[in-house]
Parts: sequence; C-alpha cells; structure tokens
Amino acid sequence: MFNILLVEDDNNQRLLYEQELRIEGYKIMTAIDGRDALEKFQEQVPDLVILDINMPRMDGIEAIGRILSKNKQIPIIINTAYSSYKNSFMSWAADAYIVKSSDLSELKNKIRELLINRPKDT
Amino acid sequence: MLWDKKCIRCYETHQIRAAEYTMVNEILPLNSDEIINKLRSILIESKRTVHDEDLLKKVDTLCLSLENELKKRDFGNREVFKGTETGRKSEKFWDHNMRDRRKNDNIMDVIEAGLCLLDKDLKIIWANKTLSDWLDLKESPVGFSCKDIFHCNESNIENCEALKVFKGGEGRVLQTWITSKRGKRICVQRIAIPITSRNGDIENVLVHLEDVTISENSLHWLLLLQQLGEKMQGTLHLEKLLQLILTCVTTGHAFGFNRAMLFLVNKEEKVLQGKLAVGPSTPEEANRIWNEISSRYGTLEEILDAIDYGHNFDNTLSSLTKEMKFSLTDTSEIVVACASEKNSIIVFDAANDPRLTEYFRNALGVNEFVCVPLIVKNESLGVIVADNIYTRAPITEDLVNVLSMFANQAALAIENAETYKKLKNKVKQLTKTQELLVRSEKFAAIGSMASYIAHEIRNPLVTIGGFTRSLSRFHFEDPKIKTNLDIILAEVMRLEKILNNITNYSKPSPPEKVASQICEIVKNTCSLMENYFKERNINFCLEHIRDLPPIMAVSSQITQVLFNILMNAVEAMPHGGDLTIKIALVEESLKIDIVDTGTGMTKEELQNIFDPFYTTKTDGTGVGLAICRKIIEEHRGKICVKSEYGKGTTMSLLLPIH
Repeated sequence: MFNILLVEDDNNQRLLYEQELRIEGYKIMTAIDGRDALEKFQEQVPDLVILDINMPRMDGIEAIGRILSKNKQIPIIINTAYSSYKNSFMSWAADAYIVKSSDLSELKNKIRELLINRPKDT
Repeated sequence: MLWDKKCIRCYETHQIRAAEYTMVNEILPLNSDEIINKLRSILIESKRTVHDEDLLKKVDTLCLSLENELKKRDFGNREVFKGTETGRKSEKFWDHNMRDRRKNDNIMDVIEAGLCLLDKDLKIIWANKTLSDWLDLKESPVGFSCKDIFHCNESNIENCEALKVFKGGEGRVLQTWITSKRGKRICVQRIAIPITSRNGDIENVLVHLEDVTISENSLHWLLLLQQLGEKMQGTLHLEKLLQLILTCVTTGHAFGFNRAMLFLVNKEEKVLQGKLAVGPSTPEEANRIWNEISSRYGTLEEILDAIDYGHNFDNTLSSLTKEMKFSLTDTSEIVVACASEKNSIIVFDAANDPRLTEYFRNALGVNEFVCVPLIVKNESLGVIVADNIYTRAPITEDLVNVLSMFANQAALAIENAETYKKLKNKVKQLTKTQELLVRSEKFAAIGSMASYIAHEIRNPLVTIGGFTRSLSRFHFEDPKIKTNLDIILAEVMRLEKILNNITNYSKPSPPEKVASQICEIVKNTCSLMENYFKERNINFCLEHIRDLPPIMAVSSQITQVLFNILMNAVEAMPHGGDLTIKIALVEESLKIDIVDTGTGMTKEELQNIFDPFYTTKTDGTGVGLAICRKIIEEHRGKICVKSEYGKGTTMSLLLPIH
C-alpha cells in the first residue's frame, strides 16, 4: 500500500481528499501546512506528496525546497487553486501541477502515473 | 594752427597736412612779419628824407594798425613755416612752394574724402574735387551756403553740425545716402572739425565727408543677420523654421533672391532630401506677389510675422524640390558636392558648367544660381539653393558671403529644432509608455484581484463539488435525492468553468518560440552587463562565426539563461578575470561556450549544480541553474558544465537548429 502525505490547510478539503484517496486504496497522512508536513515527513517518509501552495506558516514553495533537500526521489504533486504558478519555475521542481477541481479524477490519474514504478510499501 | 585733438585722432596724418597747407596758401600768400618788417624799413628810410612829421606819424599808425590786423589774421601757423624760414629767402623756395601747393591741391582733389572749409556764416570758402564729385555738383560750391550744398533742412538748423562746432560743441556725425556723379550710391558720414586761431577762437570749420558705404553695408548685414538670427532661434518648429529661412532668402528686405530651395541631410537614409522651396512659378506670379508684398508690408519684421505657416507650398518648384533625393555619395550632383565640400558654389553659366547634372540643370532651368551649405559643428546639415530667375540680377560674391553666414545661423537653428523635435518625440514616447504601464498595472491589479477571488471561491467549491460527487456514488431510495445532487454538481461545474475563464484571463499566455538570432540575444544580454563587467574588472570577449543560422527560441528565456550563467561566472571571479563567449556550429546545433577564469568547482558541487535549491552561495536561492536547465530542455537542447577547481569553469549550451 502506497503512503501519501497530503498537505492542505483547508479542513473540509483535506477531509474530502483523505476520503477519496482512501477509497482509491492509499494510506493517507495529513499535514495542515508546510512545517507540519516536514515533521510528518521526518516521522515517516511517504511514497508521494500532495502539496497545496498557499498555506499559513510555511507555504508549499518553501516546503518543496525543504523536502527535496532531504529526499530527491519522492514525487511531488502541486495541487493548488492557482493556475498562475503553472509556468513559474517553482512548479518545475515538482513532478506535476494540478489545478484544484471538484472533479478529482485528474489528481487520481496523476498519482497512479507517478507511483506506477515505485515498489509498494509493505 | 591749433587743431582740435579729438578731430586729429579721426584723421590720417597726410590728410591733415594736406589740408593745412592748402588753407595757409589760400588765405595768407605772404608772411605777416615779412610785410611789417618791409613797411618798417621803408618808414625808417623815409624818416631821413621826409620831414613831414604828420605824414610820418600817419604812416606809422597805418603800419601799427596793419600789424595788428595782420596779427589778428595770423593763424598761428608758425609751426608749419618754421622749417622753411631759412629756405624762404632764396628764390628756389617760391618754386618749391608753388610745386608743393599744386601737389597738395592734387592730393586734395584725388583724396577719397570730401572736404570743404566753412566760414562763420557757414559759407563754403574752399572745397576739394571729391566733394563736388560725390555731391554731383555742376559748379564749384565755393561761395555757396553749406546748407544749399548739403540740402539741409532749414527747420532743423539747430542740428547743423558746423553750427554746433562753431558754438564750441562737438563735430557731429551724420550718415546720409547720396548718389555720386558716376551714379554710385554711397553712404557718407559728415564730420565737422573746428579750426581755431592762436587765441582759441574758432575761425573756420572743416567739414569732412567720409565714404562709409562698406562699413554701413556691413553694419546693415550684421543687423539683419542678428535680426534674422533672433527670429530663427525663436522658432523651434522645424517646418516653420524651414519656411522662415527660405522667406528670409527670398524677401526683398533681406537677401532678395527670386527663388530658394532647401535640402536637408537624412543621416539614416544617407541622402540629401529636397524639403521645401519658396518662389513664384511664373514671372507674372512673381510680379503679382512682389507688388502685393511691397504694398502690404513695410518692414522685414512685418513680413516674417505675416508668414502663413499653415499655407501649403504646393507650387511647382516646391513639389519638384520634394521629389529630389540624392545619395550622399553622389558628388556629381552639385548640391551633394556643396554639402560634402562645405563651401558655397556659385554657378554663372549652368548650361556649360560641367559640375551640373542634366537633371539638375533642367529642374532649375536657370543659368545663374548659388548653392550654400548649412554647416553646424563642421558638419553639413543641408544646402540652400537660390537664384534670380526673373529679375536676372547678378549674384555677387559679397552677397553669397553674407548668405553663407546666414546659412550657418540657419543651420544652428535647424539643429536646435531637430533636437527639440527629437526630445519632444522622446517625451511623447515616454508619456505613452507611462500610460501603457499605468494601464497594464491596472489590468494587473484587476487580474490579481480576480485571481484572488477565484482562488478563494474555488477552494470551497472544490469541497462542495467533491463531496457531492462522493455522495452521488451512494444508492438512494428516493430518486429525487440523486436528481438534486446532480443539480448541485452541475451548478458547481458551471461555477468552476466561470472561474477557469477568469483565471485564464488573468494568466499570461505561455511564451512562443520564434526564429531568433542567438548572436543578437547574446550581444544584447552582454551589452546590459557591460558596466557590471567593467566594475568587476572582467575582460569580456565574444567570438562567433559569421552568418549563424537562426534557431526557434523564446529570446527572453534564453536571455535569462545567459544572465544566470554570466552572473555565476562573474561571481566566480571576485578579483576579475577573462570571460569569453564562443558561439560555434556543431553538427545540427549551435554550441555556446561560456568560459571563465574563476575559482572553479569541486566534483561534489559539479554533481549538484542543476538541482533545484542547491546553492553554494550564502544569499542564493539555488534555483538559477535549475531554471536554466529547464529552459534549455524546453528548447530541446542540452546544458553541460566542465570545471577545474582553481582554474575556471566552462558552461556549454547546445541548441538544435531545427
């Protein structure tokens, strides 16, 4: 079972993603912002990170830098309401950039795509 | 003879002497002492033979009174006679004296100055020939009142210069234009010079007429040039200025040419371009216009003020001039030659002058004309061509000289106007840019607000929509629930669509790749950094082969890549060094090597430099080279690095041509 770290500051949205992704069969860890995410990351290294950009305390951009400096192998998906970051260099460090939508199929497809070659966590 | 010192200063020495001799010889043929001495000796001799005391007394009294009378008439001219006193005794002296007198008379007559001597009643008692010639007198003026000869106004008698001098005033200067016997118009200046006796009384006045035509003319042109100069400097509108210049050349109050054309150098196109022409197209038109002008306007000022700048100079000559465009290298055209040689050219016989091309000869259709260059700071701005096609008045060298001076003033004014125009355009451009900036800032503000609102709405919408989708996967007994959930979902999707439109609007479109010259991009980037290089003691050098093929690229992105790499290179050389960019064609790609002689990198550093957020700098973000790699990869190219610690680094960019 793959382990996904979900970083999202909006409680209801976090709940939605958690529910939906669990149905997909992933094990979900949640964090409410970048700093929280780093702590969780240290507790257990996930197979994939889903990251919002606009968050209090530590935003997604800074979090990407910190995460990458610890582990360059983890795929990162940026999941944000802003489409404007898509062409900015910040998103280039991430493996995917998804604009939030009530239809989660794009996100789900991307997760599958990125995890396809990773050995499953036992 | 006591001369007024002030007047002596105005005179040349030989003139004074000549006048002196003449007067002495005219008025006093014999020396007074001589006469008295002779009378006295006769008297003394007769005392012995004549015994009539009364007669002797009478003769003695007569002698005394004569002596007195003679003394009175004595002009105190001992100085003149001192030297000749001894020679006088001999017979030779008389001959000599007579010869001198004739010589003096001759000098007086040929001297280029009108001279006459007035007595206290302002009657002329002597005059030279020049005076008669100048004043065109039929008979000798001697014996006439001076006011009749000089045609003085009776009512203005208190201004009479001779009268003033007699009253102890100063010799006044008057300038009048007269026509001489030979029909020449000359300007004379009259100076009255007091001639005083030994006891200081003013006995006579010498009126000296001087020909000041040349200086008067020079003064006239100087004043005119000054006036025209002021007028031109006050005109900053180029088209108006050109019209003003040509009006000055053609108006009878200034240069009085019949027609004038103006050519200006166009530096960008490297041509001499006809700009404007002023002048009537036919002799009839010329007559009509000249009559109109002379009846309507009195002074130059009035004419220049009345120039109708809005008037369209659509006459034949003007349209012909505007069609004229000569390459600056084509010196076979006389106007181009005039501009390049920076000298005025007068053509007297156009039909046979080899300096003219057939085209120009026919275009002008006149045999005599002048080309004057407009020179400022030793550079020709253009050429004025002027002729007298209708009046056929000859073009004199003097006039051309003055016209050249005027042309230089005009050139300065044109340069001013052009600078002003350039400045004005720049200001206009700046204002426009500023307006655009303000507008784009406004749009940016709207965009960022829209984006903010979209984001804020999108988040709860995602939650609503997401949960609705979750719910709709469940099975409900009541079909109404399913229908209602679908309605919610449809509405959420509608809102999301609107939000997508808004965010797409506020989001700049991704840059497009266009065919670009990599060399130009490199040069532009480096020129931006030129000063930065200099400050850091960096010797910059660009080596590239000619005629590099263009590549498809986003130039702003390539610029960013170059900028990042160059900044890294400069920072690697804190004490200066050599920075070289080499552009070469390698197979199907352009290879750009950026070589520095800086500190170089360690193996560990080399492995990590393209990773995002990796940096060895204390103030770096570590994204610079990551961006570079991303951009180069988007251009289907490659970026690689070679470095030797302590020696320097070479960054290589490979960009495919197709």
